[in-house]
Amino acid sequence: MTTAHAEAANGTLPHEPEKATLEGRNKVLAFWLFLGGEAVLFGTLFATFLALRNQTNEGPTANELFHLPLVAAATFILLVSSLTSVFAIQAMHRNRPAVLRNWLLITVVLGLGFLGLEIYEFSEYIRHEEFGMTTSAFSSAFYTLVGFHGAHVAFGIVWIGILIAQLSRKGLNVITAPKIYVSAMYWHFIDVVWVFIFTVVYLLGKVG
Amino acid sequence: MTTDQQTPQGGVKHRYRHEGPQKHIVVFIFSIVLTLIAFAAVAAGGVNASFAVILLLVMAVLQVFVQMGYWMHLKDKGHMLPILFMIGGFFVAGTCIIMSLYWVWWD
Repeated sequence: MTTAHAEAANGTLPHEPEKATLEGRNKVLAFWLFLGGEAVLFGTLFATFLALRNQTNEGPTANELFHLPLVAAATFILLVSSLTSVFAIQAMHRNRPAVLRNWLLITVVLGLGFLGLEIYEFSEYIRHEEFGMTTSAFSSAFYTLVGFHGAHVAFGIVWIGILIAQLSRKGLNVITAPKIYVSAMYWHFIDVVWVFIFTVVYLLGKVG
Repeated sequence: MTTDQQTPQGGVKHRYRHEGPQKHIVVFIFSIVLTLIAFAAVAAGGVNASFAVILLLVMAVLQVFVQMGYWMHLKDKGHMLPILFMIGGFFVAGTCIIMSLYWVWWD
């Protein structure tokens, strides 16, 4: 604690600045508890989807609907964005705010790309496939699960965007570092949830 | 990673060795390979359906383990409570999924 404050005072950043203060360590630990809750939340949505995935009510089935190239592109974009947020945290540990900001910006741009693909996908389903929220139990479960993940991506984009603005205003220190670290954890978790979505929803939907 | 050295003044000098990006690029390539195997198995078709289900789930779980271990640092020291939180979350999530599948298939 004292060394962390001394280092912060004389302009150097402690090693792993997100864990240099008690508040920072508490923030990281509490965020893990939140992610445990998120796992339960997505688990219930997956449970609903798995129970209802074959109830198509004479509407489109998963096999007719999904196009794998689009899903593969979205998967690749999100995976790369998870790697760029690792690089952001590595730049933070080396006390390079400019490099950190650039990696965060790339992460946000990739997140926007993923979101764009999802919006395109949903609008295609609604306009050309007559696959809306109320078409079938399958469609409701699909839009709720995948849309909820998309909403998490949108929230992450806004959150990291605000942190980029705060970073340029207040600089990198033991107060801003835990916020950035926690947002990177959130982003990785979003990618982990997507791994289950592309497997369970899209690929298993194609298999039948 | 710290290596503390005794300075002539009697103080402790901290020297930090920052980890490079190599490890994370390996995790990234591993994730890409697992993803490609999963997509290829489905795109190629002709794969036995029940075998495909097991293959896809194994690929997903492997990828999640590696990413949570390295990118979210769960394999590092001092992560007992986070691991406990995640096990708790996945346990409840898994219970929900098994329950609803059993509910639908039990007939």
